[in-house]
Amino acid sequence: MNKTNRTMKAVLFTAAVSAAFLSGCGQKKEADNSGKLSVMASFYPMYDFAVKIGGDKVNVTNMVPAGTEPHDWEPATKDITSLEKADVFVYSGAGMEHWAEDVLKTLKNKNLTVLEASSGITLMKGHEYEEGESQEAASEEHEHGEFDPHVWLSPVNAKKEMENIKDAFVKADPENESYYQANYETYASKFDELDKKYKDTLSPLPNKSVVVAHEAFGYLCDAYGLTQMGIEGLTPDSEPDPARMAEVIDFVKENKVKTIFFEDLVSPKVAETIAKETGAKTEVLNPMEGLTDEQLKNGDDYFSVMEKNLTVLKDALE
Amino acid sequence: MEIFNYVFMQKAFVVGILLAMVIPCIGVVIVLKRLSMIGDALSHTSLAGVAFGLIMGINPVVGAVAACILAALGIEAIRRKLPRYSEMSIAIIMSAGIGLAGVLSGFVKNSANFNSFLFGSIVAISDMEMFLVIGVSLTVLLLFLLLYKELFYIALDERSARLAGVPVKIVNFIFTVLTAVTVSIAARTVGALIVSSMMVIPTACSMQFSKNYRQTVLYAIGFDVIFMIIGLFAAYYLGLKPGGTIVLVGVVFLLFIFIGKKLLGVKG
Repeated sequence: MNKTNRTMKAVLFTAAVSAAFLSGCGQKKEADNSGKLSVMASFYPMYDFAVKIGGDKVNVTNMVPAGTEPHDWEPATKDITSLEKADVFVYSGAGMEHWAEDVLKTLKNKNLTVLEASSGITLMKGHEYEEGESQEAASEEHEHGEFDPHVWLSPVNAKKEMENIKDAFVKADPENESYYQANYETYASKFDELDKKYKDTLSPLPNKSVVVAHEAFGYLCDAYGLTQMGIEGLTPDSEPDPARMAEVIDFVKENKVKTIFFEDLVSPKVAETIAKETGAKTEVLNPMEGLTDEQLKNGDDYFSVMEKNLTVLKDALE
Repeated sequence: MEIFNYVFMQKAFVVGILLAMVIPCIGVVIVLKRLSMIGDALSHTSLAGVAFGLIMGINPVVGAVAACILAALGIEAIRRKLPRYSEMSIAIIMSAGIGLAGVLSGFVKNSANFNSFLFGSIVAISDMEMFLVIGVSLTVLLLFLLLYKELFYIALDERSARLAGVPVKIVNFIFTVLTAVTVSIAARTVGALIVSSMMVIPTACSMQFSKNYRQTVLYAIGFDVIFMIIGLFAAYYLGLKPGGTIVLVGVVFLLFIFIGKKLLGVKG
């Protein structure tokens, strides 16, 4: 985060407030007293991107608390009231936030700019236990669970999501367009760097198969020519079936997979069982559906986590 | 056989069959005491214990065991106050347990931790859990054999047991603690669903045939071991979720027993 000193903040604050006053009744959006754009983000990557674009012009709230697995999360009453007061709501979409559409229908907040950040991204079909094929999203309305929602795990898609967020901010707060645009450009080049780094690191490696706790890495694998073998399907935390576990174990043995990946927010029991059986080791590959308090304290963000993921992927595939 | 090539399946069979032998011993007494739902109540309350353990930095398994013992003793206490409505005591403790677990889980920082202590699966058992289950099973089996007569008296009729000179209070206490420990450990290892159904369904099946208490216990164990083996095979070869499969095998058996008896005109 930018370290603006207090005077700077005070100036900005006054400026924002007076701007709100000057623009008069036309801009009811600046209803909350900070004068900043109030943004609700549906889970961690959306939060991170929104903070990066909005900087000190926005107040971003991450709806899913740290350390919580977002697949099963549902908004509480206070989240709905916050949405009623917010200016912008950012969600990733493609079936990730199963609650979003229902909640949006009930909202009375006319000034809310709603953004499905995955719009414009080519979605992959969410085949359970199969390598997804790229496919054009036929319509705006996705059938729930039809697509693999984990778009943000490929840097190229993440960049697109950030661009969408930038556009939404510009729409809700046109006065700061150049600020948002400048931030976007800074991070866009970081995404490009990250993309290049992934390509350069992963393409020469001999092995291409990763075994993961749940099939969150379809877009990442697709982008860098890997295949994922998921112990679970697209959502984590269901009871594993033994036939599938046997299949994964055979796959690990046959392909001499060195590492079984699991996630921070999901119980590692099944991954550990398989690792033990095959002599592989376990390692965290973070699908970034949420960070833990500890990771947030350490100042982790999208880029640092993606770098870590790349390191463990490299070790596993060497 | 291919199924036994995998260590996780071997463990599932060892732990599954062991629990299938131990849990009906408790189950028969529980059913006769009209406390069939105690398995559910205790496994739900153990969630509260897990949450409490995580918040206070105590080992969550210890927390779960402690919460289960407290809940089981609570059920006993309420049951004594309302002897004619013993199922009420379970409803009260179960809702208290679920409520407490819900509130406490809000304070747990890392849900992965929480989940890994809540949901056991019979196909993902760690070595530690396996030894824990073996230890608990042997203890339960031993105490069950030692207190065989006393438990039989109490299960049938507490008042006459007291008149016959059985130390009802102490035996009840030991049995309650035993039940609590078994449920909390087993639910953590193989899943709450399997545990609570294993207490009741085999007993229900066995009661269709047995002529006395001893037979009821032995048949219940036999049935449960059969359910477990069929369930694990079916789950493996048909690619089903093991917990649900094992329970459904039991229910289907019970159904066939009912139908079979009806067709043969045997009285239950």
